[in-house]
Amino acid sequence: QGAQIDFGGMQQDTSLPVEVTADQLSVDQANGSATFSGNVLVGQGEMRLSAAEVQVEYTEGGGGIERLHATGGVTLANATDAAEAQEAVYTIASGEVVMTGNVLLTQGPNAISGQRLVINLTTGSGVMEGRVQTVFQPGASRN
Amino acid sequence: MTGHDNFHSALVSWLKIILPLIALAILSTLFLVARTVDPSDAIPFAQVDIEDRVREPRLTLPTWAGVTDDGAALTVAAAEARPGDGSPSAEKLVARLETPDGGSADLVSDHGRLDPETNRLIVSGGVVLSTSTGYRIRTEEMSAALDRTGLLSEQPVTATGPAGRIDAQSMTLSEKSGQPGQYLLVFKGAVKLLYQPAD
Repeated sequence: QGAQIDFGGMQQDTSLPVEVTADQLSVDQANGSATFSGNVLVGQGEMRLSAAEVQVEYTEGGGGIERLHATGGVTLANATDAAEAQEAVYTIASGEVVMTGNVLLTQGPNAISGQRLVINLTTGSGVMEGRVQTVFQPGASRN
Repeated sequence: MTGHDNFHSALVSWLKIILPLIALAILSTLFLVARTVDPSDAIPFAQVDIEDRVREPRLTLPTWAGVTDDGAALTVAAAEARPGDGSPSAEKLVARLETPDGGSADLVSDHGRLDPETNRLIVSGGVVLSTSTGYRIRTEEMSAALDRTGLLSEQPVTATGPAGRIDAQSMTLSEKSGQPGQYLLVFKGAVKLLYQPAD
């Protein structure tokens, strides 16, 4: 079972420049795969994704980045919401972030946890799946 | 000489004398008007270059080639190289490294200096390193080990690659530890990548 979440705050244009900062970037000369390690921070527009390690996967022709595969404890945050998980895969072209591994999503006072969270940044919608548990602060929505 | 009764024979006998004289006269003018060839002023050449070279011996367009321990072919060419007392230096350096895994790296710089203690080639001045994986790295100074594949730059580095523009504090290109023949290009220190998605 899954929960449909409105990720209003998360909506953003995925053609904004992506900036990745880290302590180290190592590029394997044989196949050209690049791995950022050491408190990696991926920023695009308002979205911030921080992880211990981010692997860059290129598009077919090697002309651009297809996906960013973040591992080792990932937190995705923007102005209003924050999501934590063990792993996350961000496909830049489609603007889809798939977070897996006991995901915890906090929107203001409300918190939702589950096994897999799929966020679509372009539409700002998200689907949480797998043992979904939500915590509502009674009466919190008065604000 | 018996007299000749007809005009023709007289004419021929006089001509036999006059014509050789004329020939002699023409022949002598050959040496009279010829320009004097002064053998001492041979092809003029500049003295400057010779004095310069005598004072400071140097090689022009030297090339050096070798294979490192891990089997990578390294060739270094320069516009000019000076032995220098102990640490040879070179101008307009071009180096190419072909690694056994098929990859290659081209290094271009203005100056190069061989550090005899560490047996490393220190290149400086507008260093540009371009690797076969599409990375073009620009820095101010870089040092290359000659005995094994190892490029190291302590200076801030800016690079453009398939992933976009990368800035870092330092960079090394060396063999992956434990996997001979596999090479790793590592950027260290405040690494920043800027990627503009092609929409």
